[in-house]
Amino acid sequence: MARTEIRVGGLGGQGIILCGSIIGKAAAIYSGRHAALIQAFGPEARGSACSAQVIVADEAIGYPYVRRPDILVLLSQDAFVQFAPQLKPDGLVLYENELVQPEGKLPATARALGIPATRFAEELGRRLVLNIVMAGFFTGATNLLSIDAVEKAVLDSVPRGTESLNLKALMKGYEYGRALVAPT
Amino acid sequence: MERDGFPHVAKLKDGSSVEISLASAADGPALLDFYRSLSDEDRLVLKDDVTTPGWLARFLAKLEAGAATSLVARADGRICGEATLHRNLHGWSRHVGEIRLSVASDRRGKGLGYALAAGVVKLAIDLGLEKMVAYFVESQSAARKTFERLGFRKEAELARQVADIRGAKRNLLIYANDVSHIWTAMEALVEDYRPHEGQ
Repeated sequence: MARTEIRVGGLGGQGIILCGSIIGKAAAIYSGRHAALIQAFGPEARGSACSAQVIVADEAIGYPYVRRPDILVLLSQDAFVQFAPQLKPDGLVLYENELVQPEGKLPATARALGIPATRFAEELGRRLVLNIVMAGFFTGATNLLSIDAVEKAVLDSVPRGTESLNLKALMKGYEYGRALVAPT
Repeated sequence: MERDGFPHVAKLKDGSSVEISLASAADGPALLDFYRSLSDEDRLVLKDDVTTPGWLARFLAKLEAGAATSLVARADGRICGEATLHRNLHGWSRHVGEIRLSVASDRRGKGLGYALAAGVVKLAIDLGLEKMVAYFVESQSAARKTFERLGFRKEAELARQVADIRGAKRNLLIYANDVSHIWTAMEALVEDYRPHEGQ
């Protein structure tokens, strides 16, 4: 039974929960798989630690918590420090490379891929879509979900009028991720 | 190459069609021809002297820098309308875009102005802008109506600000469309604090 454990971590106000929710929706609603989402945030809405636990599986999920993540999606250094030691030995870390320095703490056989998602989001017009760039990066770098399914999940999740910019952000991250994992 | 939904063909009220596309440097000579074909009276309400190569060079430089995004409408091999979103890439009004619109006299009253303006409004939202403004002379009632249909409302009026072709002074109307609520909803979505969920 294929079960993938994902932890999305960062700070409140970065859209961590939305990023996790999009991954879960893409899996459960638009890919016919099973997904579970658990969210955790600090006492303040903005700036405090925030994380989402997402499970994607081919069968019903009996235990919805992440024990040893296969994939980490990290948008803050604190999240890296907290979650990197939990990663499976052959796990994958996807990180925002202007916010996270992935030094130490990672298993020796783990892979780490960075993306300047904040800069990409700002270049697209809104720093706010940083989390959508990361969702696209996740899609392109992991191959766990199809870009069509994630695109539908984004369209289903974001406010009316913002769809176009959010889709551009998704594709920016997706293409960057695809290019990083493409065979050379 | 298609980008941002352009080029696309727009059907006008009289049954004719125009192709609306994103302007590029290759459109420069045709743009100059278009603006030179406008009457003196039409050109008077434009902010710049759009008939000179100097204007074209500055305009193309703004396109290249991203400080302007322009749509051109073509029919019968010539440009018959143009709409541009001008924006400041730096400074205190970088969230604001200014829309300018020109339509050939023989294409007016057919919905071309609306098609162009609607396209530019969408581009502005896609760029993350929060507010758009457009300037009108009080006599431009058809143009104002077009922008009102797109959500613009009069925000200010400057008395005797414009001198028309006969030297008569007219009021300048500043219309604005605040679309910040769209991004307010997105901001709320990324707050990462959903105490109501799971209850």
